[in-house]
Amino acid sequence: MSNKNQIKVSPGRRAFNIFNIIFLSLVCLVFIVPIWNVLITSFAKDIDVMGNDYLLIPKSFTLVNYDKVLHSGYMNAFKNSIFVAVAGTFLSMFITLPLGYALSQKHLLGRNIFMKLIVLTMLFDAGIMPFYIVVRSLGLINSIASIILPVSMSTFNLIIIKNYMSSIPETLLESAKLDGCNDLVILFRIVIPLSVSVIAAVTLFYCVSYWNRYFEVIMFINDSRKYTLQVVLRSLMFESDESLGGGNYVYGNLKMAVMVLGMLPVLIIYPFIQKHFVSGLMVGGIKG
Amino acid sequence: MKKREKGGNGYLIKQMKDQRYLFLMMLPGLVWYILFKYLPLMGLSLAFTDYGFRSRVSFIGFENFRRLLTSHIFWNAFRNTIIISIANIVFYFPAPLIIALLVNELKNARVQKSIQFLIYIPYFFSWVVVGSIFVNLLSPSSGLVNHIIALFGGKPIYFMADTHFFRPVLITSYIWRQVGYGSVIYIASLTTVEPHLYEAATIDGAGRWGQLWHVTLPGIRSTIVTMLLLNLSHVLLIFEQVLVMYNAAVYDVADVLQTYVYREGVLSGDLGYSVAVGMFTSIITVILVFSTNRISSRFLDDPIL
Repeated sequence: MSNKNQIKVSPGRRAFNIFNIIFLSLVCLVFIVPIWNVLITSFAKDIDVMGNDYLLIPKSFTLVNYDKVLHSGYMNAFKNSIFVAVAGTFLSMFITLPLGYALSQKHLLGRNIFMKLIVLTMLFDAGIMPFYIVVRSLGLINSIASIILPVSMSTFNLIIIKNYMSSIPETLLESAKLDGCNDLVILFRIVIPLSVSVIAAVTLFYCVSYWNRYFEVIMFINDSRKYTLQVVLRSLMFESDESLGGGNYVYGNLKMAVMVLGMLPVLIIYPFIQKHFVSGLMVGGIKG
Repeated sequence: MKKREKGGNGYLIKQMKDQRYLFLMMLPGLVWYILFKYLPLMGLSLAFTDYGFRSRVSFIGFENFRRLLTSHIFWNAFRNTIIISIANIVFYFPAPLIIALLVNELKNARVQKSIQFLIYIPYFFSWVVVGSIFVNLLSPSSGLVNHIIALFGGKPIYFMADTHFFRPVLITSYIWRQVGYGSVIYIASLTTVEPHLYEAATIDGAGRWGQLWHVTLPGIRSTIVTMLLLNLSHVLLIFEQVLVMYNAAVYDVADVLQTYVYREGVLSGDLGYSVAVGMFTSIITVILVFSTNRISSRFLDDPIL
């Protein structure tokens, strides 16, 4: 900013700068330390976690914990999570892309009404119970579909897609229409190839949101073989915590390995969604 | 583009025919909205019935609402929700704004970017992961916080099971997960404040505080109000975080309206009543959001909603 290139820095300003740097460094530590601890503990040998230390410096490196976890009951939940995230993301894109494209077409009949009705659902949400009752009366309870179908659309993501597609020059679509292409062909041949970056971002948003779901799973699923990783991670961390009087003792390094699996997609995907932060978030404002 | 003036039913039908592919493409999405957004809204009418226990559903008027107003479990959940919400607004709401203003003062754009990159990570973690990170951090035997307490000669605190500490833990973990999201939005908004306004303010003799007060904050006020409204629209509906983190030892201070709804409805099967409790919460939220929008529109050129 231009007000920053002033000639002299006053002592008060310098004191502020020093304070600011120290304060923000502390803030960063608050974010780094807990995540760093999880990562290094998950690679630590048993001997390093027996003394109840909170590891800040890695003392050993082993993949044994992951080997154990992936050959335990957690593997099943991990597979369920992967299935839900992959199948769910496909379904979500299958619903979101065509709807977003249609709504981006300015000549669409009733476009304003459709948009209003969709944005309205962001303001007025019926809440947990009516949602539960609908899912139950559709006969979805206890099926994997119950944790995919009811949450397969996000108005937020729809608006990101719609806004991006509206910015594609209409002349491009017009000339395709003159060549006799219908809207389906235009979507797949022209619009999707031009929207790759925003589609990638929305795909990743969907993927992470499926992976992270917890309460829908415990609300709709009773069969523990269909539990996802978040559910088993929750009971591992909270029900075996000694302060809560839990039972079996599990070594910290094993717990942290499960936890790393619980945040795996975020750790992999995060650097890629990062540049879409702002663009995506601002459209998510209430106005839509 | 063809113009509408041509009018006539024939024209409308022709247009609908031209757009048949567009309608076909909207179909799955619209069906989804009807099934999972509008049907539940209609389901709200169950709040006036005794749906759940009997095979025949009958209309019972405001009986469910009378019941909730006389239930002390409801009032306990209500009190907890209000206390947590106020703490949330007081402690969480200013946090991202302060961080954004401080980050904005840094000269190095690279450092600014790195800080945003870092503090935004937890926003993408599930509540289960965030809760687990806090269990790990606050563990009485191996947690960092209790190691530090021990260093100063204190006794370990059972944070997750202590009624005095549980609510502060909720707020802290909420801030930890969400602060990056708000900061990134505010930082983006700060870049839209016109630089020449700062120059003008300096010429008028404004110091750093003067600039903050007269240029920066007015420049981003619509973002601030939007964030406040967003916050108010979530705050009473706090649910998943509590569901993940609470336990029998802290029910008294942690049970909120949504967890109460969940227990009464999904676990006990008292559907009509739990719909009523949920509806009560939604109505207060709508009133809260719209009255704040009303008040704030006086300070804004353009109301948010």
